[in-house]
Amino acid sequence: MNIRIQIIVGIVVILALVVIVNMIRQKKLELRYALSWLCVGIAVLVLDCFPQLITWLSWKVGIASPVNMLFFFGFCFSLIIIFVLTIAMSRMSIRIKELAQELALFEKEKKEADN
Amino acid sequence: MKKLIIIPAYNEEANIEKTVTAIQRDAKDFDYVIINDCSIDRTREICEEHGYNIVNLPINLGIGGAVQTGYKYARKHEYDMAVQVDGDGQHDPEFLNIMAEYIEKNQVDMVIGSRFIEKKGFQSSTARRVGIKFFSWLIKGLTGATITDPTSGLRMAGRNVIALFARDYPKDYPEPESVVAVLRKGMTVREIPVVMHEREGGVSSISPKKSVYYMVKVTLAILIERIRKY
Repeated sequence: MNIRIQIIVGIVVILALVVIVNMIRQKKLELRYALSWLCVGIAVLVLDCFPQLITWLSWKVGIASPVNMLFFFGFCFSLIIIFVLTIAMSRMSIRIKELAQELALFEKEKKEADN
Repeated sequence: MKKLIIIPAYNEEANIEKTVTAIQRDAKDFDYVIINDCSIDRTREICEEHGYNIVNLPINLGIGGAVQTGYKYARKHEYDMAVQVDGDGQHDPEFLNIMAEYIEKNQVDMVIGSRFIEKKGFQSSTARRVGIKFFSWLIKGLTGATITDPTSGLRMAGRNVIALFARDYPKDYPEPESVVAVLRKGMTVREIPVVMHEREGGVSSISPKKSVYYMVKVTLAILIERIRKY
């Protein structure tokens, strides 16, 4: 990996981290859900600064080409994030349903009490 | 005995008056509640003009969520029985009285109106009957109970089942799945023969394209219901 791509990747990752932190600050993103993205950003930054880590790691886990290892881990990580989001979404849709039902019944009761 | 009819309504401005009038005429012992599933037509206005008993959902929840709201209403107001009646004219109100009597006399938790005991009236298409037979066979294998018409929408719930459905009810295509849930809870389910009509208006929610999803979803739901922990 040459120094130019290292600098470009580094800048992009730092920018992304700044955006994420800023969104957390503005309460557009919950820290709970942003945590995994912050971790990815920091991990990529570390690997970007010390590319020999990738080579060392891929040799340790027994993957011949370091690039393959990056793709593989990246893919696995994406799947995990998507799955966690699906769980969060299911829970939310149940909660929204319960809230809507309670609200409708409450409104009904209130109307009857008013009359 | 307090008895409730749950009428889920989504864009039913054309039918809702007829449905409520039929209930007031033929099922006098029953109270009713319309669950307006955030209709975008004049369903709400029509009901309010006539002073119908209506609960308005703030967002569209789909059929399962709407009917469940009805069961929650039934539990809150301590009804002894609740039954769902759709606005498409498939179910005769006269059977409601027969079913209510059956529950009272035999102390069962749920009564299903089955088209296939006496095989009278509208018998659905061959393809649908094959699907229904399959679910019937699946439920028999998994729970040991004989349910000839597990997809029947004409089902009257007693207190225990009202409480169960108020807590937990499937989102879409709930009929076969919720029968298994009731059986798994050790509650008693009986069927009585009814005659159904071909629907008068509207279309089935199960189009040919959706029937594959329907079969897969309901089969999986029944299997998962069987291995669920209570």
